[in-house]
Amino acid sequence: MIRFSKVSRQFEVGEERVLALREIDMEIHDGEYAAIMGPSGSGKSTMLNILGLLDRADSGQYHLDDQDTTTLSETKRAALRRRQFGFVFQSFHLVPRMTAAQNVELPLNLDGVSPRERRDRVGAALDSMGLADRANHKPSQLSGGQRQRVAIARATIMKPSVLLADEPTGNLDSKSSKEVIQALETLNLAGITLVVITHDPSIGDRANRKIVMQDGKIDQDITLN
Amino acid sequence: MRLSDLFKFSLGALGGARTRTWLMLLAMSIGVSSVLLLTAVGEGTRHYVNNQFMDLGSHLLIVMPGKLETTGGQPPILSATEVDITIDDAIAISRSPSIRRVAPMVLGSAPASWNQRERTVNVIGSTADLYDVRKLTMASGRFLPTGDPTRGAPVAVIGDTLKAELFGNTAALGERIRIDGQKFQIIGVLEDAGGAGVGMDLRDAAVIPVATAQNLFDSPSLFRVMVEADGHSAISRAERAIIDIMRMRHNGEEDVTVITQNAMLATFDNILGSLTLAVGGIAAISLAVAGVLIMNVMLVAVAQRKTEIGLLKAIGSPGRQILQLFLAEASMLALLGALVGLIIGFAGVYGLAKALPDFPIGIPYWAPLAAAGTSLGTSVIFCFLPARRAAKLDPVLALAGH
Repeated sequence: MIRFSKVSRQFEVGEERVLALREIDMEIHDGEYAAIMGPSGSGKSTMLNILGLLDRADSGQYHLDDQDTTTLSETKRAALRRRQFGFVFQSFHLVPRMTAAQNVELPLNLDGVSPRERRDRVGAALDSMGLADRANHKPSQLSGGQRQRVAIARATIMKPSVLLADEPTGNLDSKSSKEVIQALETLNLAGITLVVITHDPSIGDRANRKIVMQDGKIDQDITLN
Repeated sequence: MRLSDLFKFSLGALGGARTRTWLMLLAMSIGVSSVLLLTAVGEGTRHYVNNQFMDLGSHLLIVMPGKLETTGGQPPILSATEVDITIDDAIAISRSPSIRRVAPMVLGSAPASWNQRERTVNVIGSTADLYDVRKLTMASGRFLPTGDPTRGAPVAVIGDTLKAELFGNTAALGERIRIDGQKFQIIGVLEDAGGAGVGMDLRDAAVIPVATAQNLFDSPSLFRVMVEADGHSAISRAERAIIDIMRMRHNGEEDVTVITQNAMLATFDNILGSLTLAVGGIAAISLAVAGVLIMNVMLVAVAQRKTEIGLLKAIGSPGRQILQLFLAEASMLALLGALVGLIIGFAGVYGLAKALPDFPIGIPYWAPLAAAGTSLGTSVIFCFLPARRAAKLDPVLALAGH
């Protein structure tokens, strides 16, 4: 359960002060599938960064499962990111020198999980993404869709409760886009909270809930049933 | 994070930037190997000088005319007149119970000739005792005869170089050579004395009885007296005895200088020991330079790997862990560099030892440890700044590559 109360965030761009988020009030429930839409500069990326604890609000409160995250130390926020959130980026952010399996393994590796358990979990994750035969390929040897599915496997390997995807299909053709969105939706059906940023209406329309942003404010918030 | 995974991650990162890694390994290994080479040469010099002194004989004292010691206080208004040491002085010294042998020495240079061949050589006037004092060996014949040192016969013992230069392959024993116009019969040829003796090359010299040499050079004074104490424990007693005897014989004036071999050895040992440390220290500067290079390259690496750092942060790696990752990378680099440097250094010293078999080159035991330690230390210290910069990157900006 995610709750924003009067969350604001501003940036200084040169002399100018830009209000990226203006006193946002919002709730996202466990297991929801939400798409955040809006033109560039509307504040949707800032919203996602604050949601994923990569960025801090300047004012207001952000409660994650009834815990106020605004007062947490950087180390505690890192721990929350590790356990609660999975990130999927437009440009994949795979480590180029590592194989697909090593990329997926990285979060387990940093967390000190035993090698035996790591091997099992990485194998299962790649399998579920249909990439079992690509385990030892470097990212440069994979197609865009495959890379994004490796990134999704990595984002979910720690069994997070929330999956945050920032334009996950932005660099993909329509066929790969469909595969990636379907992979994300499958995870959502299994219970994970899915928040997708997109400017593509065909992607946004698939979500149960559509949050449209404009000038740092929520313009529309439509939930379909 | 597990330690083995930390190492694997660092190795992977190093392998991912080959050129950078090779350059830093090169810098580190040059530093480490130069520490080894320079300290090895320094230690070799120290051993070499030690060996030279050992060649002189181990319980040796040298008596020289004049007081060389400096004292504090006012400069003397009247400089003490230098009194010569004579053969009688040497005989008096030899009567002390703490002294085993005394070899008075006169040194000069004169032309020696045989059958139209002529050569200017060192002429050393001494007694039979020089043979044992200087630990000489004969190639053929015998050394100077024992007997009254104030009387000298026209006989000479020649060094092997002089023998070869004047006689070639002809037998020299029994032949007569002219030294400064006077005839001398050759009674012995010395074995190659090596580099034996600091400042006195016996290979190209003629040794004649001391009284004969005094006549030849027309001087009653001795160049110096070599004294062998009666065992190692007698050295300081012998020194005391020599000074007492000489003061008594020279009207209460302490006008000779006695140098013990231990004192000389200790002085040289100190000087050369600090020299080794100094050249080692200079070489260590190259390690510090390598450290600065590592800092520079690591700063570039942090800039290049910003998105990777951003990703690590996004997947929940705390700043402390990122610091650890970069420091581990620097340590691995330092250890690998030190390893390569040690191999190059040991190989270089081995090569030098092969090329210069007479020079006792050897790496002091502390040099590899100090070199490896310094390289590890500088790497970690100089990498701290870049690593901390990485750890403190803002995740959002880092992911965007800013």
